[in-house]
Amino acid sequence: MHTSNRIGRRAALAGLAGAAVASSARAQAPVSLRLFTGGQQRPDVMRRILDVFQERNPGIRAEVEVGGATSDQQQQYLNTVLASRDSALDVVLIDVIRPAQWAAARWAEPLDAYLGAERDAIMARYLPAYREANVVGGRVMALPYFADAQFLYFRRDLLAKHQVAPPKTWDELSAGAQKILAAEAAANPSLRGFATAGAPIEGTVCSFLVPLWGMGGALTDAQGKLALDPAQAQRALGLWADLRAKNVTPANLAEIATDRIRVDMQAGNLIFAMQWGYAWNRFQNDADSQVKDRIGVVPLPSFAGGTPATCVGGWQLAVSAFSKNKEAAVKLVRFLSSLEVSKMQAIAASHLPVFPEVYEDAEVLAANPWFRDARPVVLGARARPVTPRYAEVSEAIRTSMNGFLAGTRTADQALADMTQRLTPVLR
Amino acid sequence: MARLRVGPLERAERRLGYALLAPALLLLLAVVLYPIATLLWTSTQQLHLAQPWLEGFVGLENYARAMDDPRFWSALGVTLIYVGVTVPGAILCGLGLALLANLPFRVKWPVRLGLLLPWALPLVFAGLIFRWFFEYEQGVVNAVLRLFGAAPLRWLSTPDLAFISTSTAIVWKSSSFVALVLLAGLQAIPSSLYEAAAVDGASAWQRFRHVTLPMLRPAIVVALIFRTITAIQTFDIPYAMTGGGPGHSTETLAMYVHRTTIDVLDFGYGSALAALMFLLSLALTSLYIRQTRRDEGTG
Repeated sequence: MHTSNRIGRRAALAGLAGAAVASSARAQAPVSLRLFTGGQQRPDVMRRILDVFQERNPGIRAEVEVGGATSDQQQQYLNTVLASRDSALDVVLIDVIRPAQWAAARWAEPLDAYLGAERDAIMARYLPAYREANVVGGRVMALPYFADAQFLYFRRDLLAKHQVAPPKTWDELSAGAQKILAAEAAANPSLRGFATAGAPIEGTVCSFLVPLWGMGGALTDAQGKLALDPAQAQRALGLWADLRAKNVTPANLAEIATDRIRVDMQAGNLIFAMQWGYAWNRFQNDADSQVKDRIGVVPLPSFAGGTPATCVGGWQLAVSAFSKNKEAAVKLVRFLSSLEVSKMQAIAASHLPVFPEVYEDAEVLAANPWFRDARPVVLGARARPVTPRYAEVSEAIRTSMNGFLAGTRTADQALADMTQRLTPVLR
Repeated sequence: MARLRVGPLERAERRLGYALLAPALLLLLAVVLYPIATLLWTSTQQLHLAQPWLEGFVGLENYARAMDDPRFWSALGVTLIYVGVTVPGAILCGLGLALLANLPFRVKWPVRLGLLLPWALPLVFAGLIFRWFFEYEQGVVNAVLRLFGAAPLRWLSTPDLAFISTSTAIVWKSSSFVALVLLAGLQAIPSSLYEAAAVDGASAWQRFRHVTLPMLRPAIVVALIFRTITAIQTFDIPYAMTGGGPGHSTETLAMYVHRTTIDVLDFGYGSALAALMFLLSLALTSLYIRQTRRDEGTG
């Protein structure tokens, strides 16, 4: 009785297995993909986009894994996963500064073979900055998901109330902020004039580079060698020292990370902010936003007589070299880096498009009126140094800047530290 | 007590003993010795994932680099200050807590729970909680300062204040472990000693000074050793509260090791730094152990 029961069960199992084999002959066995994204890159929107992908590709399931809030926290986690050659992640959303490092460490699967003859045609459709950022040593290491640059966000209502025009220069910003702060201090003692990233995080690198570039300076020459002019760099840092001395920036600027700026502005406590594109959608659509329809976005100010500068940002899709489902992963990346998804993101998350034509799309402009003027800013944005040792470059800049913004290092000391540590890396 | 002869039976027994010990010994080799050996080997390599083409044996070059690295010395200094401040701090607070918990409360569990809770909390959580305490705009500490009309302080981005706020968090977090160890020690002191001291007319202070403290000494040494080792490894709380900032002013050795290996992917140099940190642990703990040996010898 017992034995016959067991035999019966075995027969049933064999039958099931046979059925599975038969069905896999008809439709491929479902492939499960895992995609890593940062918490700031709107995983909720990613999920919605993945649902569309799954609907069109019934054989593939895609899960989202959400990582740290800042680019460097995410990379710390990814470093441990990838250095141990873990195959858990198939597709990873990486910051625009990473492809060179990923190529050197051989973490990203080069995509050229998968793109085949279409390679050049596909790459030609993207904005030039993203075409360049994702090709390392002639090989396509990743495909762009969305573009980004820093803009000046401002409180339209407060500027109008106090007859301050959106500033074109840093001096105008400083004067305007002081005027509004003086008048509004009684009504809102928490109101601050201007914020940019100052904590020891990746965003703070741009807080150094933007005024440096604005002064006409550069960090590296065309060969990627350190070419920092100390006098110029010191004048660039003078911008933040001056805004701080005039109480335009918050006293704790050295503690402020990128998303904190968004939170403060969303709570109605900031007049001006140097911020990336994603913040617009949060200001307009978050339930707790105090500033819906009260925010304007313009290019960053310049120094009097200079030209405005901004950092290239944006997020790229890499296929992990350790993925066990590379074919499916590439298929997903191709979809996520398509014009269609670029438009979906622009509308749902104010993610700047990587395709020039999406900036003129009527639906996109209805959701983000400021995109009309954003394309020239993205086109003119400058890249942070491209080197496999970018992590060290970033670390040297952000910690020196953090010490300077905290007031513990003078501009001279901070620049000396930075130069000493960058010289052996950028040579 | 000299062993004259070892009989065949005894030898067989001993062999069996070794055989029985072998699995534990192998496990220990695998999880302790192997990683340490790998670490030491890696520390003699140039192994930087962003520059894989430079990989190779470099001897003691990574150690020489550390000796010339001002950031290593700064991190070492910060670590030693953390040891110097948070170890005595935690011992004092822990002793206070243990004495308090040892009072004859009728209901003991709330006190015990209060003792256990900070210990049970993950370090990073404690760091995040304290970061919000000391936050500039919304933190409770600055709220109190404002209440008394004082100017708010930049607790997390002024070097001295950042050190004070992180040390406070560390002492809060680690006192409870010290208190648990000391409480066990306190409860092992026979009450007859206190009764005898009371009969001799000793005051409460004298009873504490001449009965409690000497009897508690072994427990204090155990707590000191554990606390010192964890203080040398200080990482989570400053990492969560300041990220080592402002600049590098609260960056400990463990944080520098983490940054070098996990951020920069320079495994060779990071391993050398970790080996140096291991040496520091070894040096400080052997000091304690020698001290306790001497105690046992004289006592």
